[in-house]
Amino acid sequence: MEDLSLPKIDYAAVAPMLILFGVACVGVLFEGVLPKAARRVTQLVLALLGLVAALSVIVWQSDTRVLTAGGAVAIDGPTLFLQGAIIVLGIMALLLIGDRAMEHGGAFVAQAAITVGSEADRKQAVKEQGATEVYPLTVFAIAGMLLFVAANDLLTMFVALEVFSLPLYLLCALARRRRLLSQEAALKYFLLGAYASAFFLFGVALVYGFAGGVEFGTIHDSVTESTQSTVLLYAGLAMIAIGLLFKAAAAPFHVWTPDVYQGAPTPITGLMAACTKVAAFGGLLRVLYVGFDGVAWDYTPILGVVAVLTMLIGAVLAVTQTDIKRLLAYSSIANAGYLLVGVLALSKDGLSSTMFYLVAYGFTVIAAFGVVTLVRDADGEATHLSRWAGLGRRSPLYAGIFTFILLAFAGIPLTSGFIAKFAVFGAALDSGEAWLVVFGVVTSMLLAFPYLRVVVMMWLSEPGESTPTVSIPGGLTAAALVIGVVATLVLGVAPAPLLDLTTSAADFVR
Amino acid sequence: MAGYLGSYATLGLLLLASVVVFVGAFSANRLLRPASPAEPIGKRETYECGVDPVGGDWAQAQIRYYVYAYLYVLFAVEAVFLFPWAVIFDRPGFGATTVVEMAIFVAVLALGILYAWRKRILTWT
Amino acid sequence: MSTGEAVTFWILVWPALVGAIGMVLARNAIHSALWLVLTMLSIGVFYVLQSAPFIGMAQIIVYTGAIMMLFLFVLMLVGRDASDSLIETLRGQRVAAVLLGIGFAAMVGTGVYRAMDNVTPAGLEQANAQGNVEGIARLLFTKYVFAFEVTSALLITAAVGAMVLAHKERRKGEKRGQPETMRARFYPGNYPGPKPGPGVYATSDSVATPGRLPDGTLTDRSISKILPVRELTSSESAPKGTEK
Repeated sequence: MEDLSLPKIDYAAVAPMLILFGVACVGVLFEGVLPKAARRVTQLVLALLGLVAALSVIVWQSDTRVLTAGGAVAIDGPTLFLQGAIIVLGIMALLLIGDRAMEHGGAFVAQAAITVGSEADRKQAVKEQGATEVYPLTVFAIAGMLLFVAANDLLTMFVALEVFSLPLYLLCALARRRRLLSQEAALKYFLLGAYASAFFLFGVALVYGFAGGVEFGTIHDSVTESTQSTVLLYAGLAMIAIGLLFKAAAAPFHVWTPDVYQGAPTPITGLMAACTKVAAFGGLLRVLYVGFDGVAWDYTPILGVVAVLTMLIGAVLAVTQTDIKRLLAYSSIANAGYLLVGVLALSKDGLSSTMFYLVAYGFTVIAAFGVVTLVRDADGEATHLSRWAGLGRRSPLYAGIFTFILLAFAGIPLTSGFIAKFAVFGAALDSGEAWLVVFGVVTSMLLAFPYLRVVVMMWLSEPGESTPTVSIPGGLTAAALVIGVVATLVLGVAPAPLLDLTTSAADFVR
Repeated sequence: MAGYLGSYATLGLLLLASVVVFVGAFSANRLLRPASPAEPIGKRETYECGVDPVGGDWAQAQIRYYVYAYLYVLFAVEAVFLFPWAVIFDRPGFGATTVVEMAIFVAVLALGILYAWRKRILTWT
Repeated sequence: MSTGEAVTFWILVWPALVGAIGMVLARNAIHSALWLVLTMLSIGVFYVLQSAPFIGMAQIIVYTGAIMMLFLFVLMLVGRDASDSLIETLRGQRVAAVLLGIGFAAMVGTGVYRAMDNVTPAGLEQANAQGNVEGIARLLFTKYVFAFEVTSALLITAAVGAMVLAHKERRKGEKRGQPETMRARFYPGNYPGPKPGPGVYATSDSVATPGRLPDGTLTDRSISKILPVRELTSSESAPKGTEK
């Protein structure tokens, strides 16, 4: 028997993931050994330090292009860029998660096991501090996302998918207010997510039957060489795509999105809308660009239909929404459609513009959910749209910020939304996917309507008795808001540096 | 009885033999026993200290048992990984590397037990 | 396929199918779970048949053992009064789901069947050259070591999550100590002695019969609170087994 040795691991290249997994484990340890009073600050500082350390390693390693850990992990331009994006957006989400200024005890329930509506529940809602397990769980989720965008074989990708999904299912169930809604959201997300994972796994098995391996390199080679029946290839790819499109919230796998976005604690909704989207599209890009690029002609029309459907459903249903979180959820579905347009360009431009779009959208959407956490009344966040009427008179500053964010979503020039849409549509046009661009432009115009309706409502209505107050944000939320708004503005006015960065990063290793 | 499946043939025969013994014993019992069934009222009812059963037989379990069951599953899954490790780690060529790998794996899972212990999940209340 | 393999396959394919169908059709959730056990055991044997004894054993130990037990624990958490809602929120949803499910299964089934028509199995000897378990260990601890270590993160997340969602922490003040218990016991108005035993008479051997105190009065304190309060019919309260 020949000697067995560990495959060569480029520890510096995988250090960001190792750091975050380590930090999350230390977080669980702290949860056990630290006294209750010290936990929140320690956990928050630890998680932020870990994220910053991981980000610095990524910046330091920015020139690495390597397949490591036995070919299971690919550290290349897109990986590093998307990992950096996930970490930056993760830091912003963590700032929202950590803030306890708007509500006593924060956005999370102290003890999720206490029966909803019982005497003990009412007591804990007003008195107790939120659970601090959310910090290690968030870090686990972010670490899983980092691995997900770096995974170079389907098996590692599946494990990473589970590692980042499971904490999200849990976090969804931990809202302090409207706990039944939150638990229902978590259950829905979990059941449908498990179902999507099963599809993914089934697809991996079929593709393994076709290619005789799960590495993207092997799959890429066998797409042209294999003598196996292509039924396995197409069925496998379709099922893998179902798993990934579910996470990306693309139609017709989007039905969980509004309910989960609405029920989850708002900071977690921000985390899901920004980071999960980056991770899901990162995985999708690698699967389509690295593994299955040989059958691009076959899957482009089908995914094109999915993209059109996603844009249409997102835009049309956004018009009918009466809840701000559901509105943002449908907007996030529509944005998944625009991202798919960029993905389907299947070119270097398509890759770089999709990555740019992910970052631009992530910054804006976290800021949007940050503002949602501020608009409150005695029962917590006031998310019904009618309650937002007249908010411009109550608090011009935050209404102004939210207006700016909505304009960025709508793709008005001088915001990052415009540049991002311009980039993905341009890439798709160059690749001859004009029909996708037509649908993209039409739905963008349609989608502008619900955004502008909110803007009009905020500024042109008189505040009534029931208009909620806008809380003064704590330092952490304020920081996240500032980062989000400034990034949205800067990427709209001077997008060149980031565009250059995405272009230089847009090369997969195989 | 050679080859891969041959090694399972013995097991199959054993299973078959046990089925035969089981069925044979019960059939013999049925054939040989005297049969004089009486059906007084209440013969087939649960009877304990004179309280007649009412309602269903379904009792709701406490959720705390779920946590124990869950921890058990966790370590059953761990055992699945431990087993291949246990058969190979002293083979030439494996050795220290696999020991370290498994040590990390087990250490991370041990954190779960530590957490449970500190949260007083393991103490009966 | 060798003869032994074929025979075992055709014997076990029926329990596997019946178990799967029974799981879907059973009205009682516990029966569903037990049907699932049957299917999983059969599948475990199939794995063994296909030269993957390790996966087969893991299937039997972990799935039919541990995970099915977890299923049963979850089912036991469901209260007695819980019932399935039979109202369809979307009209025709159930029929559509059944049709789509069957259609999807048929599509994938025929597709895979046709794809597997002219396939010669390859690589089994190499994979199992040094033993099945050794082969798995070899891959697990070298090539997929990253995925393996990350699995531990998955498991600990699941453990922490289960405890967060299911465990109620008790505050120090909530637990009543010995002094408080004693104070409550001897509080004026409370009867500190043990409760009287149940009354069992010649007319009824039921513990639901109240006991008689020394002064001749009946006392409800002798009846356990968990006994449902109800009127016994005469046949119920009559001594059992003496009628003929």
